[in-house]
Amino acid sequence: MKTLWIVLAVSALGACAPVQTRKVDSGEQTVGDRLVVKLDGAWNHITAPGMGPAQTWTMEGLPVDQLLVYSGLKDGEVIHAQPSSSTAKSFSFRGNMQPDEIVAMFEGMLTRDGSTFKLVKLEPSSFGGGKGLRFEYAVVRKVDSVQLSGVGFATVSNGELFALLYSAPRLGFFPRHQGRVEQIAGSAKISLKPAAKPD
Amino acid sequence: MMDREETKLRRSPFNLRAPELQAYVQDIACRLGSEHCPDIRVHLVRTPYFNASMAPNGMMQVWSGLLLRVDNEAQLAAVLGHEIGHYMERHSLERLRAAKSSSAFGQFLGLLGPAGLLGQLGLVAGMSAYSREHERDADRIGALLMNRAGYDVAEAPKVWGNLMLEIQASPGGGNSRNPLFASHPASEERQEALGALAAAHPGGAKNDEPWQKHCAPFLREWLGDEVKRGQHEESIALLTRAGGRALGRSEYLFARGEVYRLRAAEGDLDRSMEDFAAAVAAGNEPPETHRALGMIYRTRKRPAEARASFERYLELSPQAPDVLMIKTYLEELSA
Repeated sequence: MKTLWIVLAVSALGACAPVQTRKVDSGEQTVGDRLVVKLDGAWNHITAPGMGPAQTWTMEGLPVDQLLVYSGLKDGEVIHAQPSSSTAKSFSFRGNMQPDEIVAMFEGMLTRDGSTFKLVKLEPSSFGGGKGLRFEYAVVRKVDSVQLSGVGFATVSNGELFALLYSAPRLGFFPRHQGRVEQIAGSAKISLKPAAKPD
Repeated sequence: MMDREETKLRRSPFNLRAPELQAYVQDIACRLGSEHCPDIRVHLVRTPYFNASMAPNGMMQVWSGLLLRVDNEAQLAAVLGHEIGHYMERHSLERLRAAKSSSAFGQFLGLLGPAGLLGQLGLVAGMSAYSREHERDADRIGALLMNRAGYDVAEAPKVWGNLMLEIQASPGGGNSRNPLFASHPASEERQEALGALAAAHPGGAKNDEPWQKHCAPFLREWLGDEVKRGQHEESIALLTRAGGRALGRSEYLFARGEVYRLRAAEGDLDRSMEDFAAAVAAGNEPPETHRALGMIYRTRKRPAEARASFERYLELSPQAPDVLMIKTYLEELSA
C-alpha cells in the first residue's frame, strides 16, 4: 500500500518535473550541517525542483503524510517553497522569534492555501539538546477537506532554526507514525560545528 | 455535475455551520433575486478572501473574507446583486460554452471542484471569469436589484473603494498585483459608474446594526483567519477601517495589534501595545490580548507587567492550548 501511494504521488509530481525519492535508512542520519537524528525505520526523502528549504520525508507517500525537517535555517530565510507566480504571502524565520511566533509562522505556512489550523497544545520541550518547544495541531486541508493531525518540535540554536513538523490524516496514519516521529525528535542532537560527512 | 459539487460543498468542513447567519444572508439574496428566489441557495464558506460566486444551477458561495469586509447589509447586497446579475444574464453559461472549446475548461471545472481549488482569490480571479462587459452589466443589474429591494445604492461603490484601499496598502500594491482587477473594469471607472447609478436611485437602507449583530458571533474566528493570512499591510488597512464599526471594537484592536506584533517592523511593538491597551480599555477584549502583552513585556524585560499579563490570560483562559508554556514563563519571571 505504501509503495502504491509513493508511486502514485511521485508519478503525479513527475508529470511536470523531475522528482526523486531516496531512501533514508535506519540509524543515525545527519541532516544539513548540524542536525543529527536517529531513525528506527526507513523514510522516503522526496526531492524536486522548487522544494525546500526543509527536507521532505514521508512514510506513506505524498500527500498522505509528510515530515518536514529544518536544519539550520538562518534569520530572514523563507520557510517554504515559493512558486514564482504566487502572490500569496511568504513566511520567514527571524532569529529573535518567541515560541508563539514560531508556531504562528508555521501556522501561516500551513494555511497559505486556505486550509484551517487549530493549535491543540504548545509546551516547552527539549529539542536538539537544548531548550525548545513542542506543539500539536489540527489542520483541515483545503484541497480535499481531509482532517490532519500534526506535531512539531523546534529550537533556535545560534540564531538558526531547527525543527521537525509532521502532518498526517487524523485517523489511521497520524497515530501509526506519531511515536516514530516523537522518537526522532527525542534523538535529535545539534552540533555547534558542522558534522563530519561520511566519505 | 454542479449538483454533485454542491453536495460536496454542503458536507465540506469549510461550510460555515451557522444556520441563523445563513438564513439571514439567504433572505437578503431572496429579496434581491425576487422571482428568482427559489433558484438561489446561499452557502457560507470559511475562506479568508473577498469573494462570492454563483453557479448556473443557483448555488451561491459567499466567503467569510467578504462577510468580514462589508460594513452593512447594503454593501453585501451590492456583491450579491452583482452575482445575481451574472446569473440572470446567464453569463456563466456563456463562459462555460466558451471554455468547453479551450484549455480553460479544466480550470472552470476546477472552480466547482474541491474547495481547495477555491482557496486563493488569485486562482479564481485569474481565470478572467467574466468579460469586462459582463462585469459592467452585472454591476448595473446589481444596482437596480439593490434599489428595488430598498437598499442604498451609494454603498455599492464603497465596496470596491474599500477593497482598493487594501490592495494599494500591500507592498507593490495596485491593480497589477491582483488578478481580480485584470478581469474587472478599472476600479475608478467602476466606482464612477456605480456612483452615477446611485445618483439616479437615491435613498434606501444601509442596515449597519443588524448586519454587525448577525456577524458578531463569528467575528473572532474571521479576524483570526485574517491575521493568519500574513498579508500584514492589507490587514492593517482593513482593520483600521473596520475598527470604526460600532460593534466589536476590542476585537478589531486586538487583531490589528497582533498583526503589528507578528510583523515586528520598526515601531510595530509600540503600535501593538497601544492597540492592546485600547482593546483592554474598550472592554470584552479577547483573552489573547493579555498573552500578547505579556510576550512584549517579557521581551522588554519588564517582569512585573509580564507576570500580571500572563496571570490575567490564564485567569480568562484556563484551558488555553499554551497553558504549559505560559506557566513556564511565569516560573522564569518569578525566579
